[in-house]
This record gives sequence, C-alpha cells and structure tokens, in this order.
Amino acid sequence: MKLLRLWLLQVRYAATRELMFRAGFFVWVAVELAWFVIQLAFVGVIYHHVDEVAGWSRNEMIVLVATNQLVMQIFTAFLMPGLSKLPDLVRTGKLDFILLKPAPPPFLVSTSHLEIGPLANGGIAIVVLAGAVQGLGLHPSWMELGSYLALILAGLLVHYAVLMALVSLTFWIIQAESVLLGYYTIFHVARIPREASTGWFRIVFTLVVPLLLVANVPASTLVRGLEPGPIVIFLLSSLWVAVLATSFFLLGLRRYQSASS
Amino acid sequence: MSAPLRALPAVFSLGLQQQLAYRWNYFLRAIFSALPLLVSWVFWGAVFQGRETVGPYTFAGILTYYAVLLVVEAVCQPSDDDFQISREIREGMLNPILLRPLPYGLYRGALFAAGRCAYLVAALIPVSFCLLLLSRVIDLEWANFNLGHGLPALVGAALLQFSLTLCLSLCSFWLLDVSALIFLVYALEFLAGGHVFPLDLLPAPVFAVVRLLPFAYEYWFPAAALCGHLTDGAWKAGLCLQYGWAFFFLVLAHFIWKAGLRRYTAAGG
Repeated sequence: MKLLRLWLLQVRYAATRELMFRAGFFVWVAVELAWFVIQLAFVGVIYHHVDEVAGWSRNEMIVLVATNQLVMQIFTAFLMPGLSKLPDLVRTGKLDFILLKPAPPPFLVSTSHLEIGPLANGGIAIVVLAGAVQGLGLHPSWMELGSYLALILAGLLVHYAVLMALVSLTFWIIQAESVLLGYYTIFHVARIPREASTGWFRIVFTLVVPLLLVANVPASTLVRGLEPGPIVIFLLSSLWVAVLATSFFLLGLRRYQSASS
Repeated sequence: MSAPLRALPAVFSLGLQQQLAYRWNYFLRAIFSALPLLVSWVFWGAVFQGRETVGPYTFAGILTYYAVLLVVEAVCQPSDDDFQISREIREGMLNPILLRPLPYGLYRGALFAAGRCAYLVAALIPVSFCLLLLSRVIDLEWANFNLGHGLPALVGAALLQFSLTLCLSLCSFWLLDVSALIFLVYALEFLAGGHVFPLDLLPAPVFAVVRLLPFAYEYWFPAAALCGHLTDGAWKAGLCLQYGWAFFFLVLAHFIWKAGLRRYTAAGG
C-alpha cells in the first residue's frame, strides 16, 4: 500500500514535469506513431503477396502487432524511462540518492520517471486493435477481455525483466548505452506468430525468456478464445524472468561503489 | 599537401580511439545488430511455407538480402555522429573546433569514417558467425554476388547517410532538441529505405515513387547491387540518383552550417 501511494506520487510529479514541454509531447507522439505505421506497413506488404502466415490472417496479424504495440507503449510510459536512466545513474554516482530512500531500489529505479506520449500511442494501438477485431467479426466475452488485460500485465513483466537485466550490465560495463538498442532488437521476436517458430528458437523464447508469448498469448485469447495451457506457461515464465532479472540487478548492486565525496 | 588534408589522418586516429574507448559497449552493439537476421529467418520461413517465391524472391534470396543488409549497415550507418554534432553545437563545444584550420564537414567526415572502420571490425565476428550459422541450414544466393556494382553503391550510401546526418544534426543551431527529428527520419529510412523489407516487394506504382527518394539509396540500392539484383542500366541510373542526392545534401549542409554559424554564440573559455 505504501509503495502504491509512493508510485502515485511519482506519477503525479512526473506528469507535471512532462506537461511543461507540450510541443515535445506532440513531436514524440508523432515519432512513436511512425514506428507503429512501419509495423503495419510491413504487415500490408507481406499480405499483399500471401493470404496467411503460420495460420494467421491479415486481421489476426494486425491484432498481434497492435497488442505488441500496446504492451510496449504502456511499458515505455511507466517503466522504461526510469530503467533506461540506470547506466547514467551508475556512471555518475547519482544512484546514491536512490539508495538512500526508504523503498526497494528496483522499484525506485523503474518508477522514477514517466512519459505521457506513449499512452496516446497506446490509445491509437487500441483503436487499430478494435478495428481488426471488428474486421474478424469477433465478439470477445468479458472473461476473454479480462484475461487479455491480465496477460498484458504479464507482458509488461517480461519487458521489465529484459530491460532490467540489460541495464544491470552497467554494473560491470562502464558505458552500456547499447543495451537499449539490444532491448529494441530482442523484442522483434515478440512480433512473430508463435506457430512460425520451431526447435530451439521456440523453446528458448517460450520457456527461458518468454518473448514469443508477450503478444501471442493475449492476441490468441482475443482471436481464438481462452487456451489454459499457454496462459499458465506465460504467467509462470513471466514471473520467473522478473524474479531472475531483479536478482541480477541486486547482484550488480553489490558491485556498486558510491561516487560521492 | 594542404594543412587540412595533413590533419585528417590525426582526426581519423582520434576518432578510432574515441570509438574503442568503451569496447564492451561497442561489441554489444555489434552482437545485437545481428539478431534481426535470426528473426527474419524464422519469420520469412513461415511466410515461404508451401511457396517457392514471394514477389521476385526465393527464401534463400530474401535471407541473402537481409544478410547483405547487415554489411551495408556496418559500412554506412552513422553510430552516434548525429547526437555528437548536436551536443557540440548545443553545449558550445564547437569553440575549439572553429579555431582549427580544418573545415567542420571534413573533420566530421574523418570521424565518421573512423567510426565505420572500427564498427566494421567489431561487427566482423558476430556477423560472420551469423552468416556461417545461416549458410549451414540454407544455401544463401552468393552466385550473383556483384562486388563491381556493390562497392560504388556502398561508398555512395555511406556518403548519403553522412550528408543527411549532417543536415539533420546541424538543425541544432535552431532547435533545442533534435532527437525527435532524427528518430522521425530514422523511421522513414527504415521503411522507405528497404531496411524492414526489400523495396521491390512493394506494389509497382509505390515502388516507382519510393525509388526516386533518397532513402532507397541508403539501404535497398547498395544491398540489391551487392546481391546482383540490378541490371547494368538500373545500376547506372541508381548510382546517378544516389550520388546526386548525396551531393544535394552536402550542399544543403554547407548552407545550413553557414546560416547556423551566424546564430551561434560562443560563451565561456
């Protein structure tokens, strides 16, 4: 309860700070929107030549891509801004100020900043998603919609785990800005239909780091209904990677040496 | 030899040292850049399931395109040059550079070349490993590989990317933060440049328009030239457009620099 109150305070403070630069807000919405348009254009070009990919029709693929965009934008709004500043905090020694506060460091690091722009793009993703669902003639039940939202939260856990693990490398490597590029690159996997992959690729990205499930399981829930097996695997594996990444961060923290005088 | 030309090797060496100061960061960047090839392999494998060709491509042909794209990226894509230029202008770090008897464009050009050379070496191991892995499971189409067409197109693409980067980052004379502008152009480069998919998969009328834009000559044109997908006529016409766009952006950058310097205020020691 204390952490929730603290998080709401941080959100209010960060929102006030964000709204000081309104022009920047609209420009960044346009930038993020452009990247979403690229993904939709890719789907358009593929389905200009084929009717289905791994059993997914055009509209089903749009549900997958829009779901991936929705998870990514929520993550970019609430958790990514704070996490991506960790390399800088470690290098300059400003992490001291966070460690002195009476709250868990992983929580403070990941929630210290907020961006509102991605939420607008999350809204656009929902509109595209709704259009594709309507195009498929689907009428998801309340149960399916509730599960979809819960699975989006599990997807956020996976995003948190991957970025937390990558930025924690900063405790060993002096300049680790490339990890952000790594984060964006790794999540290309999330946009592939699960059925497209086989062998070790499928095992690694389902059970070890469940990137293949982040958008696939929620999108399948809307398109094909509730499938208990994949849902349970996804929920367990997302918890597993989040715990592992947080432990990795805490391990790195033991190496941190304060830079203050 | 004139003084600016004599200084270039020293600037190049400085650039190499700057790039290699944080080797792990650099190496990680190279490793991550090879990951999309793996994803392309899996995704396009599903697209080609039960099909011999998609547009003008076979499965091996499209993977060869993405593999060659990795090399094009390593040779041509600026790493941090845009943000460095922007920082130099915004934080007044131009002052010592302006005092040197070396044109700023040449100075940045030498640093860009050093960055590309260092990155090419760093990317050699992960990219070679990826290609080796890929060639074990699929016969990549190296038979049509055309270095004669590819090398001039690669140099042109590097020149074009550098000149476009220079134009964008010099906008820092007027804008407090150019990162949004840079990322917006990145998005255009990725889509209309053939980074996300080969441009000849686009419907014919769209492809005809896109190949007139500069972005097509940053990735798609050098990759297609190296893969041997272009006829002699198409290659010559493409090369003219590519170098034409590069020259246009270099001239534009010159005028932006001149106009920007009139606004620039050097403060502090």
